[in-house]
Amino acid sequence: MKDTTVLARCNLYAVLGAIPHLLKLDPEAAALVAKKNVKVGFSVKNGPKATLIFKNGEAEMVKGTEGCSIKLWFPSPEKFNALIDGTGTPIPVSGFHHIGFLLKEFTKLTDILSAYLRPEPEKLADPVFFERSTTLMLYVIGRAIVQIGNHDKVGMFSASNITDGKIKLGIGQDLAVAIHCQENHLLFNPAPNHRGVTSSMTFADLKTARDLFDGNINAIAAVGMGQVRISGMVSQVDNINRILDRVAIYLA
Amino acid sequence: MRKINTYEKSRAAFERAVKVIPSGIYGHQGPAEGCYIPIEAFPLYSSKAQGTYLWDLDGNRFIDYMCAYGPNILGYHDPDVDAAAARQRAISDCTTLPNTVMIDFADLLVDTVACADWAFFAKNGGDTTTLAAMTARAYTHRKKIIFFKGYYHGVAPWTQKIDYAGVIEEDVMHNLYCEWNNFEQLAELFDRYKGEIAAIIAQPYMHGNFMDNQLPDEGFWQKVRKLCTDTDTVLIVDDVRAGFRLDLAGSDHYFGFEADLICFCKALANGYNVSALCGKDFLKNTVSSMSYTGSYWMSAVPFAAGIACIEKMKRLDLPRFLIEKGTKLTKGLIETSHKYGFDLRATGVPSLFYLRLADDPTLRLHQEWIAECVLRGVFFTNHHNHFINAALTDADIAETIEITDEAFAVLRDRHPV
Repeated sequence: MKDTTVLARCNLYAVLGAIPHLLKLDPEAAALVAKKNVKVGFSVKNGPKATLIFKNGEAEMVKGTEGCSIKLWFPSPEKFNALIDGTGTPIPVSGFHHIGFLLKEFTKLTDILSAYLRPEPEKLADPVFFERSTTLMLYVIGRAIVQIGNHDKVGMFSASNITDGKIKLGIGQDLAVAIHCQENHLLFNPAPNHRGVTSSMTFADLKTARDLFDGNINAIAAVGMGQVRISGMVSQVDNINRILDRVAIYLA
Repeated sequence: MRKINTYEKSRAAFERAVKVIPSGIYGHQGPAEGCYIPIEAFPLYSSKAQGTYLWDLDGNRFIDYMCAYGPNILGYHDPDVDAAAARQRAISDCTTLPNTVMIDFADLLVDTVACADWAFFAKNGGDTTTLAAMTARAYTHRKKIIFFKGYYHGVAPWTQKIDYAGVIEEDVMHNLYCEWNNFEQLAELFDRYKGEIAAIIAQPYMHGNFMDNQLPDEGFWQKVRKLCTDTDTVLIVDDVRAGFRLDLAGSDHYFGFEADLICFCKALANGYNVSALCGKDFLKNTVSSMSYTGSYWMSAVPFAAGIACIEKMKRLDLPRFLIEKGTKLTKGLIETSHKYGFDLRATGVPSLFYLRLADDPTLRLHQEWIAECVLRGVFFTNHHNHFINAALTDADIAETIEITDEAFAVLRDRHPV
């Protein structure tokens, strides 16, 4: 059971929210926007609103659409979700002189993102592609956990059982994101340090993470095999995992 | 220095298991339940057990403080219980007509358990909590059931939560939640859902996992009892985990009140598979009217084992004995922790004590210490209450303290002051 508004939040903040990470990982994607200074706003009626700010080959996403160069308006969460599914088209309501960016660079950018997030199986044989794809999935999942934990009815129940703290989700030694929980509200941290981590779930390596994300191995068995390590306040991890189960429902 | 255990055969068995069993080991004994951290410190399979000891596949011996998560109350392979079971097995077990040993067992429970006017037998604790909830709903014609947060009453969908896999909203839509020991909150729920609450279900004290165990505040249970009586609400005590380790007459008796329904399983027959719902007379007809049974629920061997177990527990005045042993052990553990500058806390009733190293709120230090104990032959788990059994000797307690001393020393070396 999916809530279309929550799905829109996941699509905006988690899927499109991965574009800043994409630009850091993929030189081709970064080159597309290297000289662009554009703010693309997404406004979903009865749903989320955010702006992707492109500047100097980097990007960031901020909430709201104030000050955007081009604004895309969606009459409903369903229409926005259709855009992400590739079955709908956006309606620009302002900034028409940036329509070229939208049709060219931005479209290419989202195509690259889709290629990483919904990869052709053979592409995963390329270790560079594999690493980028899996890394992006970690960011998308982390961001989606926050949206689902804060807005989905069942996800909110899980979040209500998380004590305050910082839950680190890592792959190997070098890659990690964190979910901060304060009074049952979740926040995403794409670059956590070790300070204040109250619990962690660490996948042994990219392959283990990938296999788990793709549902090819069982998470509980993986813990038993030592491929996934949990430590600290494991009730936090337990509840994050319950939200993670719902990420699969929303973004599978 | 103690030898450090290794678990090659356990690991190999687990690798074999995951190929043919979902998650390898499922449920509460599974390695992903948060009780075996880090996983490398723990064995996963046993080869044999005797008294208070458990041996793993690799030949490591453990002083076992999990007691099969409760059933082992007299010691593994207790000779009296095993002999009674063997005698009954030679006569009959699972047969077309039940054996009268079933009546003998019910008689004994009615004589033993303070609130019991009858006994209904099943196999697992969850069978009895579900029967208790159904009984309350059938008797009151109401839908809602109040749970205390941190509860565990089995794995039937109604006992789980909305975010658990396979549970749908309708399974839990009549569940209401209240903080343990918060009578005001409980009374508010009764005001808000006047005439809708079928039952309160609760463990005799809060012995949930991942948290210090909390005994009932003075007078709490008595107020709950009165509230249930005044509102014709059924009071269900889930004594599956604590049963017979506090009081042979039931943990409600230990805390000075009477449940309407009380659920037993774990320690009921020292590991033989039987559970029992006991209750007051006014609910007997309701239970009689219900469709509730199972293929092995009238098997005679566990009844014979249960009779022998209860009779022996009575002879030994077992709860007092277990509480004394648990007190001695936890006192020793706490003193040992202080010796190294650590702050170990033991909560709950000592016969099923819960441990937490309070020096680190993230619990990592606690997990490290538990791991060092297990690696040296004391089977603790990270965040579950532990259990005392009758076979535990003072020498076992002394050995446990010696091992935990070494574990604290390792911890202090690793984390100097």
